[in-house]
Amino acid sequence: MPKMLVPYPENCTGCRFCEMACTIFHEGVVNHTTARLQVHKKNVKVDFPSVCTHCVSCGEDCCVLHCPVEAIKKENGRVFVNQDECTACGTCVEVCPFGVMRMEEKAFNCDLCGGDPTCVKFCPMKAIVYEEPKPEQYEKVKKLLGEE
Amino acid sequence: MKGYVGKILKVDLTTEKWHIKSFDEKHVRNVLGGQGFCVDIVYHGVPEGADPLGSQNVLAIAGGAFDGFPVGTGGKVAFAAKGPATNTLVESIMGGSIGPELRHAGYDALEITGKADGPAYIFIEDDKIEINDASDLWGKDTRVVPEALKKRHGWDVKVACIGVAGEKLSNMACIDCDDRQSGRGGLGAVMGSKNLKAIVVRGTRDLVPHDPKKLLELALHYQKIYEASPSFVEDTKYGTGEFLGWVNKDRGVFPTKNWQESVYNERQQIDPYYWAPKYVTKNKACFACTKPCGKLFEVKSGKFAGVAIDGIEYETLYSLGGTCGNPDVESVARANELCDLLGLDTISCGVTIGFAMELYQRGIISRQEAGVDLSWSNAPSAVPEMVELIGNRRGFGDVLANGVKVAAQKIGKGAERYAIHTKGLEPPAYDVRGMKGHGLAYMTSTRGACHLRAGFYAPELVGKFWKWEGIDRFSAVGKGPMVATMENFMCVYDSVGLCKFSRGFYLIAKLPEVLEAITGLRFTEDELLKIGERIHNMKGAFNYREGVTRKDWLLPQRVLEDPITDGVSKGSKISVDEMNLMLDDYMNARGWTKDGKPTPEKLKELGIE
Repeated sequence: MPKMLVPYPENCTGCRFCEMACTIFHEGVVNHTTARLQVHKKNVKVDFPSVCTHCVSCGEDCCVLHCPVEAIKKENGRVFVNQDECTACGTCVEVCPFGVMRMEEKAFNCDLCGGDPTCVKFCPMKAIVYEEPKPEQYEKVKKLLGEE
Repeated sequence: MKGYVGKILKVDLTTEKWHIKSFDEKHVRNVLGGQGFCVDIVYHGVPEGADPLGSQNVLAIAGGAFDGFPVGTGGKVAFAAKGPATNTLVESIMGGSIGPELRHAGYDALEITGKADGPAYIFIEDDKIEINDASDLWGKDTRVVPEALKKRHGWDVKVACIGVAGEKLSNMACIDCDDRQSGRGGLGAVMGSKNLKAIVVRGTRDLVPHDPKKLLELALHYQKIYEASPSFVEDTKYGTGEFLGWVNKDRGVFPTKNWQESVYNERQQIDPYYWAPKYVTKNKACFACTKPCGKLFEVKSGKFAGVAIDGIEYETLYSLGGTCGNPDVESVARANELCDLLGLDTISCGVTIGFAMELYQRGIISRQEAGVDLSWSNAPSAVPEMVELIGNRRGFGDVLANGVKVAAQKIGKGAERYAIHTKGLEPPAYDVRGMKGHGLAYMTSTRGACHLRAGFYAPELVGKFWKWEGIDRFSAVGKGPMVATMENFMCVYDSVGLCKFSRGFYLIAKLPEVLEAITGLRFTEDELLKIGERIHNMKGAFNYREGVTRKDWLLPQRVLEDPITDGVSKGSKISVDEMNLMLDDYMNARGWTKDGKPTPEKLKELGIE
């Protein structure tokens, strides 16, 4: 299995540094609405990161399956949006269970920073780890998102 | 000029109108951001003699220059207004995410004037600004309110709000955001007096730094420095209370039982080395903090089962613990939770309860008057009970709700002798009789007794800091210029929005590089300290104009008359001569009159109009 981002809600402090680092790395600006991950600072007890799992979590490949023009592909375990084919209809943004398919002029998602994820580098608490996928961790996040 | 949006949003609650004011580089070079922006707004916006709880008062909110950018521990937001506890310009800094969110919405600062007709909240979503009815939120606590507003406006809005204490205009009411508080000086009451229950913000715009690549490099550089430092391990394991045992035993300056003692012998349970392994279930952080001192403290069983707080901070371990003679950490946690929910500053609230307990000990107030058994031995029950009474202004809580100065006046019978405060604000957890420069800092602090306006506890307790070595904490000599310089230093920190717990890493010398990466503007170390001096002078000039002069700065009687009775600092006190020597030195260093007035020449030199 290729390595993926694995979220550990129990370690997340809610500082949101990962979100800022994500868009600074990709776009050179800070904007949490285009960060390829989300931090939820839910209440005093719960903070958690929601990351792109490249659809290893449920095996349903939501965005891939639902894209009406088949612009979203999965190759070598990585999901990506073919920018030439994307019509910006927004279906993928709606179906992503983690809320991390993003839309500007076209849809886009986490590219794992080419194999050295910036969010992981800036999380000293190990709330996001780049490692073998852990389905039970993705389930934890799904459950927390469902409660929101 | 990058980094900044360049805009300030002014909302008037009386007319329900708003407008946007632009600023340029000149404003940044004057007051930098965060606290500086807020002080500038209040200094120019609040008319002379305005009632702090009247519609003329102005509440300012601004993220620091770093706020919203990836600078570890650089996510602080400032709140300021004329404060009801001290009648001075009060600014209070917190780590909630409303600062960066405001900037994403397009505003570096928010200025709130007037008074709403009835309970209201401000909703800001980029260009959309609404003043909405908050009748359904009035009377609700600081956890219910954000939850309800997130249900209404979406999970990702950021909410700053007040609790019941703010609605009831308590001088110790705070403003809450993300379970963090702008605690000191009663700014929650200022919100309450404007009928403003909450401020809700969603911003979707880009924040654009000057040099993103350099910024990310610097972020990683400092991240490595943080992680390699001993304080990283201690802060993440034990939080800010890490040095409680050391302050208590090795320095003998941990005020206990309303400052009757300075060593707390029953401290075992309130020391984080005891409670952290037992009760802490998770780390919590301010916005952008990668060196988290916040702890999720949970009580799972017993009388206080269900308590869950971001804490317990060092200051609260003193205020609701030591100075109330409360050795029960679960009780301290519950009292802390009640303060958070009701929207009370834990420092002022705890010190006020400790004060009432000493009055009870001395027979100045009776069991009947208090309505609660305030004997020291009953502290674990009495402290949380009193917090509830104070927050709701019920029974004896109403007498105490405006802090020790007002309570002592109401109670009379010599109660003033036991009221520990300067300028009307209750002091933090350092017995200044054994750290005289810090005692000076309690007097000179523009918002009343404060450990963070100068942060002088660190140089004195350690003996060295920055450019100083061999500092003698028992000496009053030479402290004036040092405290003045440290105040300027701290004004810079609150204006860039960097946590003061990072001051040892950056000092001032390392800030220009980070500022340049974000803003593209170059500053020298001296220029930054000059900005700090300017901000402090604006506060000083405001306070003098409001009639708060040297006579109001003085230390409480106990500090001047009763030497420390126990521990390694035994016998030490600050004499009246020492107090006056330090104050004279300080005024000289500031270029102020002996009475505490910033001279016209000084203001002119700093370009203050």
